Amino acid sequence: MLKVLLAVVIGVIGAALLHLVIVLSLPYFSDRDAYSRVISEGEPFTFHILEQKPDQAGLAQEDPFLETAVCSFDLEERPVRFSAGSGVPFWSLAVYDPASNETFSINDRTSSGGKLDVIVATPLQATALRKAMPEGLSQSILIETPLAQGYAVLRAMAPQPSYRPLAAAFLSSAGCVPTDWR
Amino acid sequence: MLRVPLLIAISLAIAFGGGIWSTLLALEATIGFGAIKLGAWEAFPQAQTVDADPYAKSHRANAGKLLFGTAEGLTFTAAVDESGARLHGNCTYRMSGHTPPARLWTLFTNDANGRPPSESAELPAALNSRTVLRGANGDFSVEISASAQPGNWLAVAPHQNFRLVLTLFDTPTAGSSGLIDLSMPKVEKIGCGDA
Repeated sequence: MLKVLLAVVIGVIGAALLHLVIVLSLPYFSDRDAYSRVISEGEPFTFHILEQKPDQAGLAQEDPFLETAVCSFDLEERPVRFSAGSGVPFWSLAVYDPASNETFSINDRTSSGGKLDVIVATPLQATALRKAMPEGLSQSILIETPLAQGYAVLRAMAPQPSYRPLAAAFLSSAGCVPTDWR
Repeated sequence: MLRVPLLIAISLAIAFGGGIWSTLLALEATIGFGAIKLGAWEAFPQAQTVDADPYAKSHRANAGKLLFGTAEGLTFTAAVDESGARLHGNCTYRMSGHTPPARLWTLFTNDANGRPPSESAELPAALNSRTVLRGANGDFSVEISASAQPGNWLAVAPHQNFRLVLTLFDTPTAGSSGLIDLSMPKVEKIGCGDA
């Protein structure tokens, strides 16, 4: 009887250990995390507009009033520039690293002139950019990120159905492109 | 003869069964620690940051949702009413009061699978700060029910549990540690069944 009790106690300790191991290691092994899903949306450096229903990658527009687009990027060669116009009641951009930690987020009121113009670069690229400061970049917001890979989520609000074409146009005109200089 | 293998089998079964079951349960039940709790509502302002606890990181890696950044907004969810009872589609609820300061907010329901209502539904399954009807002092009252209600009506599917999702956009609440006094709308049950 005592041996059975011992076996149960050892089992419970093992269960606790396994619980901790799974919880701590899951972020490194998960293939259904947001970054994997954004990558399986398709080409990098393009905003993919999400549907109301989950697509094959498993991503969907979560909020019925928020049109959502995602773009994955890789700064290995060049910085990436996010750009979009204005005209929607609210838009916001969030940049995440591969572990889905927020690197940077911005909305239309915190940007200059209500327009989206953000450059994400590695520290090395950012230093080079600041030194060169190419034409037309003085208004851009320059973000440094230690990790070269990541993804961005751009959301545009359509509070009423009549705003939907506006929000869709905002997202489809949004740019997520590698910059010309490095 | 078979005592020792049996004991080892018991240990292993409890270790693996219990370990996997408790992990699935923990990841399903909570988004992590560090929630702001306001009445029936809870929010996780840290869930998308590098400072999130291991449970929160595990949960978001498993759920694979696109979370809101700090400058974007903060999502409050309520699975229970003020008395602590699960929200159910057979009952009628009244949500009234003010939201914390925010430029815009949206309100909709999630079903058991965590999916928002489909767009094709003809019923008002989602409201936002621009479409809601307000009282003279800016407060609002929303009736949440499966059957039509006067005033602000948020339609839910009958015969199943649901979860309210209130997202505040461009809100100082997202940077809050829960110390400042925030007031969320109250969710009260006002009747059940066909009444």
